[in-house]
Parts: sequence; C-alpha cells; structure tokens
Amino acid sequence: MSVNILGGWIAAFLTLSIFSYLYKDNPFYKMAEHIFVGVSAAYWGTLAFWNQIVPNLFGRLWPAAEYSSLEGFNVAWYKLYHGLHFLSRSIFPISEDGTIIGIPGDQTQNLTYIFPFILGVFMLFRLIPSIGWLSRWSLAYVVGLAAGLRMYGYMNSNVLAQMYGTILPIEWLPELSFFGNLGNIFNTLVIIVGVLSGLFYFFFSMEHKGVFGTVSRIGIYFLMVSFGASFGFAVMGRISLLIGRFNDLIEYAHSQYYFATFILLGVMIVTLYVLSRKPDEASEV
Amino acid sequence: MYNFLEKMGNVDRRVIFLIIGMVVLLPLLFPFGLPVKATKTTIDVYDAVEAIPDGGKVLVSFEYGPSTKPEIHPMAFAILRHLFHKGHPVIIMCLWPDGLFMAQEVIHQVAELEYDLKYGVDYVNLGYRPGNEAIIKGITRGFESVYTIDTQGLPLSSIPIMRGVETVADIDFIFSLSAGYPGSVEWVQYAADPLQIPFSSGTTSIQVNEVLPYVQAGQMQGIIAGMPAAAEYEGLIIEHGHFDMPGDATRFMDAQSIAHLVIVLFIILGNTAYYIKRKKEQKY
Repeated sequence: MSVNILGGWIAAFLTLSIFSYLYKDNPFYKMAEHIFVGVSAAYWGTLAFWNQIVPNLFGRLWPAAEYSSLEGFNVAWYKLYHGLHFLSRSIFPISEDGTIIGIPGDQTQNLTYIFPFILGVFMLFRLIPSIGWLSRWSLAYVVGLAAGLRMYGYMNSNVLAQMYGTILPIEWLPELSFFGNLGNIFNTLVIIVGVLSGLFYFFFSMEHKGVFGTVSRIGIYFLMVSFGASFGFAVMGRISLLIGRFNDLIEYAHSQYYFATFILLGVMIVTLYVLSRKPDEASEV
Repeated sequence: MYNFLEKMGNVDRRVIFLIIGMVVLLPLLFPFGLPVKATKTTIDVYDAVEAIPDGGKVLVSFEYGPSTKPEIHPMAFAILRHLFHKGHPVIIMCLWPDGLFMAQEVIHQVAELEYDLKYGVDYVNLGYRPGNEAIIKGITRGFESVYTIDTQGLPLSSIPIMRGVETVADIDFIFSLSAGYPGSVEWVQYAADPLQIPFSSGTTSIQVNEVLPYVQAGQMQGIIAGMPAAAEYEGLIIEHGHFDMPGDATRFMDAQSIAHLVIVLFIILGNTAYYIKRKKEQKY
C-alpha cells in the first residue's frame, strides 16, 4: 500500500469521523477532534521553531562561521554556542570536522537580536509563578509594537480611505447611460444614508427618540441587511467546504483507493450501532 | 397544509443534514452544467490583470490552507494560468505556513506541467515566514530583510527574477489568495495603500463582507469572492483564450447552486412554520 493510498484512507476516516458528529457525539468524533488539536499544535510549534526561531534568531546570533576565523568577543560568544551544541546537536550544529560552527544559512551576525531572545525567554517565565511578572515586559513590547504597527494602517486604510469612499460626488457622468447614471446616483445615496444612519445607531449619548430615533432605526435596517449578507456568504463558504470534503470522499471511494470511503463508512455505522446497543455505554455514545 | 408546515418546524435536524448532504453529493456525481455569468467584481480582477504592463512582475501571496482549499485553490490555479499565459514573472510568498504546500501544489501543476517554466527566471517561491503583517511591512523596506533565501535555499541575490526587485514597491501587481488573517486586509493596510501598488485578491466567501468596502472605495481592484467567483474567473480565462478547460470551481457550482436553493427553501418553510405556530399560540 503506497503512502498516497494510506493518506487517502486516513483522510477519509478522519473526514467521516468529524461528519459523524452530525448524528451525535461519539468516540470517532472525539478521537478525530483530539488528533486535530494535537497535530495542529505540534505542526504550528515545529514550523514556528524551525522557520523563525532557528534561522531568524539563532541564525542571526550565531551565523555559520569558520572556527579559525573567530576573534575578539566572538571567541567567547561561540564558546557559549559550543555549550548549546552539547544540549542539542540538531538545533546548534557544528560541522563534522569542527571547522564550521554556527547556524547554516545566509544570515549576518546581528547581536541586537539578544533583546528579542531575552524577551522570548521572559515569556516562558509565566510557567514559574515567582518570576512570572517578567513575562509582562514581553507582553508590553508585543502590545506596543502591534498598536504602533496597526495604528497607521487602520487610520490610513480603514478610516481615511473609507471616508473618501463614502463621500462620493452626486454627478451626471456623460460616459454612462441615463439609467446607468440614475443607478450610480442611487448607489451613492444608499452609501451615504447607510453609513450616516449606521453611525447614528452607535451614538449612545442621546436617547434614540424622535428624528434621531427614526434615523437610528434606518441604521438598524442597514445593519440587518449587512448581517444578512454576512450570513449568506457564511453559508456559501460552508457549502463550498462541504463540497470539497465530498469531492475527496468521492475520490477515495474509487477502486484506486480500495473503496476506502465505503469500507470505512460501513465499519463506522456498524460500530456506532453496536455501541448504541450496549446499555452501559449508551450514555457516552 | 398547516399541519405539514407545523411538522416541518419540528423536523429532526439530522434529517436536514441528510437532505443537505444529498443535494451536495448528487450534483457532484451527476453534474448538469448550470451556466455561470461573471459579475463586475470578478471582471474587475480580470481587467486589472490584463492591465499589468508587459513583463510586469507580479507578487502572489498564499494565505490559505487545506481547510479553505475548495474555495481558494481553484482561484490560485486560474490566476496563475492567466498570469503565466500572459508571460508575467511571478514571485510567490506565503503568510500562512500551510500556504506553502498549497503553493507547491499549484506551482507543480501550472508552472511545471502545463507551462514548463524555468524556476528562478519565470517564477520563484520565497516560501513561508512567520510574522503576519510584520512580513508585509518588512518587504516594504526590502525583500532581503525578511527573505534571505528562497524555498530551494538559493540566496535572493542569485535569483534572476529578483534582480531589480528590492522592495515590494518594485512589484507591478499584488494578488493575495486570502482565507483570513493575515490576508487581504493586511495587504491593503501595509503595502497597497501606503505604496499605491495595484492590488487584488481572491477570498473565502466568509471574508467578502470585510473586504468588499476596500473594493468599493477603490483600494482594491476587484475581488474573486468565494467559489462562485472562482468559477466566473475560470470562465473568463477560457472565454479570452488563456486556458482551454474548466477548473474545479466550475465543476462544483452545480452542487453549490442546488444547495443554496434548498437552504433558501428551508428558511422559507422554517419561518412560515414559526409564523403559523405563533399565530396558533396567540389564538389559544
């Protein structure tokens, strides 16, 4: 059995296990759910470590260098690397003949990366309650960086550009037909009324009564239309994903995969039936 | 009739799941080819790609994974077929780790098998780097500040397609295949808007409402919105002679359309049943 066929069987089994929840909670679903969580955590962790921490942090602190060419501070600095090498040879490699030391790659040494390294270590101190407070420094840096990075982006793209997009001129364009122009002007009015009435609805410093109440009520209708559109798109997206899984299950039902879908579906139905007949386990299934 | 509608309101949800399952499965097994007509936002993307100057370099970013593959993967195939057919050099990068596998699958099929293109000259895969919007911000300062090597371990300076591309401002068009964060929104905020780079995106259906305001405000040049728009784009590239075979999205549209029809029917029936039940309760 090739790896491809085995992969097909596993995919079909996990897909059917997840779908089985639509019948009711059962051991197949629980198993698939646990596998998903475990594999996801391990996958993300491994990927972040080998793609980010090793090349971009360790690789910048100890880039690969010829051992004989080290001088000054670097002699002591790479002695520390030697110590780390004894802890893990795969993360901190040294060439077999001992001439090349450091993380392979195209990085140049940048010792300022010691600060993110320290902040990263501080983050792990949450696991030790007595010095857990140090992790707040790391969090403060992350929050500050994110706020600073996003402020400009949001102001520029989500506030200013969106305001320009809202306040459109009501004009008669010669390149459009009569009805085209009418449609264009109607669209502009809908956008202006929708945005303003929506904003009115979220203004809570005045009681929503009289003219203010009427406008905010119009705002609610616009919001309802927006939620309806979101719901419609959400349904469309979920159906697309269902189609994708069904398409794969159809593929795994072919003789090329030894009818994996049919066999697994049959086994699962029989198992669930047997489990449901057992009085002791009936409450669990 | 009233009794039937009342019963419909109390039907076991598993019956509804089964019916939805059947209406999705049957059109996949027996397709009947409902027509797909391109909408304005999809045509805008097509026109934006057509407007890229000859030989203009395009950055395609993969920000999706297996969970959203049915929606975005057909877009990736269609957009790369369009770009490669027009002879644009394509730089591929990934803001999602799983995006790398998606990119490799599309590259293998389109660039290697269909167009027999040369790696490093016609296209390059820079791969995945963690950092979300910081990566986008990074390439506005310089690609080499984020990517020292590509997926094949080649230094960027040695890759022919990267000559003359120091920052993202040297790119003629950006296309994001986006399924969430980081994705289209971050590209608009950190690259397209500040540097005024033509930008467009293919997104999941669920993201459309979030991204559409950028399209309306002219910050994005159209949007491929979910699987139906992917089918529309497949139709457009066939119609204009960039490719000759319908892709997966077109094949899936029968199931999508019928499922929507049945869901609408369920909503109408459910609401009518609820209305009748409420009326009855008020009466007694």
